[in-house]
Amino acid sequence: MSKHSKFQTALCSRPPRRSTITWAFLPLLHQAEVNASARRSTTSSSRHQSGSPPVGAHVHFEKTVKMTIKLIRDHGQHYRPRMACLKKVEALVIEMQDPKSGVKSFEQKRNATSIPHVIAGQDITAWITSHMTVDAQEAQALGTMLVAYGFIYPLQDPKTLILRPDGSLYRCQTPYFWPAQKWKAQDTDYAIYLAKRNIRKKGILDQYEQERYRKLHKWLNHKWDFIVNQAKEQTRAGKARMKSDRVVFSYQERAYWIVHRPPPQTHSAMDYGVDRLIDPNAEEEKNSYYYRRIIIFRQQAIMRSKVKSTVSLGALVKHTMTYQSHDPFLTPCLPSNPWQTDDDTYWALNMPDVDLPTKMTVERWSYGFYELLRDPRGRADFRLFLKKEFSGENLAFWEAAEELKWGAASAISEKAETIFKTFLAPGAPCWINIDGRTMGLTVKGLQHPHRHVLDAAQNHIFMLMKKDTFYRYLKSPVYKDIQKKAISPAPHNFTDAQLEQNARNRKPGLYPSVTWQRQQKEKVRTTTLIDIKKLMANKLDRQ
Amino acid sequence: MGKEECKTMLDALNKVTACYRHLVSALGSTSDSQNLREELKKTRKKAQELAVANRTKLTALLKDKTISNDDRAEYERLWVLFTSSMEILEVDMKRSLEIGQDFPLKVPTRHFIQTGMTGSTTTVASRAMSVQNMKYEADANIDLTDLRDLEAEIAQVDQMMEDMEMKVQVAPWAVEAKQEAGAELRSTASIGNSSVGVISLCEEETKERGSWTDGEAGLMRVFAGIIFTVVLLIAGILGYLIINL
Repeated sequence: MSKHSKFQTALCSRPPRRSTITWAFLPLLHQAEVNASARRSTTSSSRHQSGSPPVGAHVHFEKTVKMTIKLIRDHGQHYRPRMACLKKVEALVIEMQDPKSGVKSFEQKRNATSIPHVIAGQDITAWITSHMTVDAQEAQALGTMLVAYGFIYPLQDPKTLILRPDGSLYRCQTPYFWPAQKWKAQDTDYAIYLAKRNIRKKGILDQYEQERYRKLHKWLNHKWDFIVNQAKEQTRAGKARMKSDRVVFSYQERAYWIVHRPPPQTHSAMDYGVDRLIDPNAEEEKNSYYYRRIIIFRQQAIMRSKVKSTVSLGALVKHTMTYQSHDPFLTPCLPSNPWQTDDDTYWALNMPDVDLPTKMTVERWSYGFYELLRDPRGRADFRLFLKKEFSGENLAFWEAAEELKWGAASAISEKAETIFKTFLAPGAPCWINIDGRTMGLTVKGLQHPHRHVLDAAQNHIFMLMKKDTFYRYLKSPVYKDIQKKAISPAPHNFTDAQLEQNARNRKPGLYPSVTWQRQQKEKVRTTTLIDIKKLMANKLDRQ
Repeated sequence: MGKEECKTMLDALNKVTACYRHLVSALGSTSDSQNLREELKKTRKKAQELAVANRTKLTALLKDKTISNDDRAEYERLWVLFTSSMEILEVDMKRSLEIGQDFPLKVPTRHFIQTGMTGSTTTVASRAMSVQNMKYEADANIDLTDLRDLEAEIAQVDQMMEDMEMKVQVAPWAVEAKQEAGAELRSTASIGNSSVGVISLCEEETKERGSWTDGEAGLMRVFAGIIFTVVLLIAGILGYLIINL
């Protein structure tokens, strides 16, 4: 659609990435696979049912091109995406340590010992405001980012990772526990930490920690001896230090794990989405494949049609303003976000076959014709309107063309036949009104049908519906009726106890097969509608 | 027996790994110093020696085809312990390289992070090296030379792990651990009694100690009973004599 192409040219400017495995390494890969499968067949049957029994070996290429066969089934994605912000934050933290121009630290008195290097929240915000010349609100946000990433940890409320601009106390984290892109927090280390905590607290862990301990015991059962031994040894090594250092170290470790394994109902700043296939820090080798790829990309870029930035930015602003209230990141969705509160009323209200849609959905239909067609409920409403106006053939043709475009390749010729007979042949039951040139092109193309043979006709029909029928629909009693009847759900206000209960009573969700069956039933229902229309048209003709 | 030797060596490696982790976590903070770099170097060397010794022993034991299934399971378990230790050591070494490069010692203004740790790590290092006092004899630019050595050592460790994975065919997921969940709580009493000089406490030792305390309580009861009966007898004899006199 034209709307989307404007954005595409503005945003798409990066050259394509290379594939991971260049052709030269394929024979080695094959050999490694053969070795690994031979090894697998000789080992005894797995006594360890749960956890991660590897089914396929994967060859992992490191920077120095050594092969390490790590038996993990992860489809090669074990590089984390670039986290450029972390290096910048590190520089900021190091500047904070400057004895002359950094943040002033003082001592914390605790049970007759005093531990130095404690900083207050207001000092941090004041320093950021003056050092980076920003206003107080932004300094607050920056400070919260420092705490959320784990470079500074709070002493008084360790599980809430925000920067309070009052006298609450914070301390800097040691560089070993800083977040880094290369070093992912490992489950083995977490298990060792939980075991150590178990020793220190004599078996009384938090609820979520106990659950995680049990799960780790199940998954890492083969390493459990090691984990227990390591936990004991690390505790003993810790006892060899000064008492205040021991306390500080325990704070540091706890802060690290709160960042990297957050307690439930909290959010970790280290969430990053999907792992990457190739190392983003590795420089790409500039060989002929690389240059060829870049040349093709640049040639295509020259030939692309360009839009003025004022135009595209204006369109972007308009789009953002219209859709702002519909974006669940910017406005809390009603009644409540199911991912946050574990209550799926929102999804139930927005099902495709629901009787009464929400006010937000109905509003969204008026934003553009494509929005109306995209939402299955909207399309059903539009179909109802067209049935009243006896002009359902346009929508039926559009839907049939969509089915052809996205359907199976084997069914293309068959579908093309039916579409021609129903819509395009002269004297057809649902003859669509398109101009002569497009009709000629389409009919000629239908002799050798392919996926996009109906594109021209489909676009013409789409424009016709958009410019004419859509506005009539928006003014029609059908639309006004559904606007009145649409429900606007009240926002949920769950207490913590209710949230826990919701989490426990989570339903598993609809199977895709069930939704597909429903869609098929719906389709059968609408096609019978067309048949009735055909009957009516025939009746009118006879009269 | 080979198994006991292996176990003690693995326990030593475990101890050194734990101490190395403590030392690396102090890098870059205010308790960092020349001494710490030297301690790291020495601990690393000790870890390397132990690793090589362990590896030769375990590969020799595992390559032997004439051992029973139980023995083989036991050796596989020890092998998994060994590889897990080595993985942790490798990661810690790589991290110490990075942090060492980011926080050099020989600059006019050191920017070490004020973490609140002020004490030295001498005690941890002496525990790792199993000596009473640590001797520091390094020269001034230890950090630069040390980092170069460290890179070489990391490469060595990588090579060793690769060789291990190629030569020995052990399925790590098929090993069953001997200790169940919460095993670390059982020997907390022994942790409280340990001192710096004790090298390793095995599972069997703690079990023995537990049974000894139980037996002791029983013995005490028996003794009390015997003394009570003796006192009764003496009282009876005295009463008889008094009555007869």
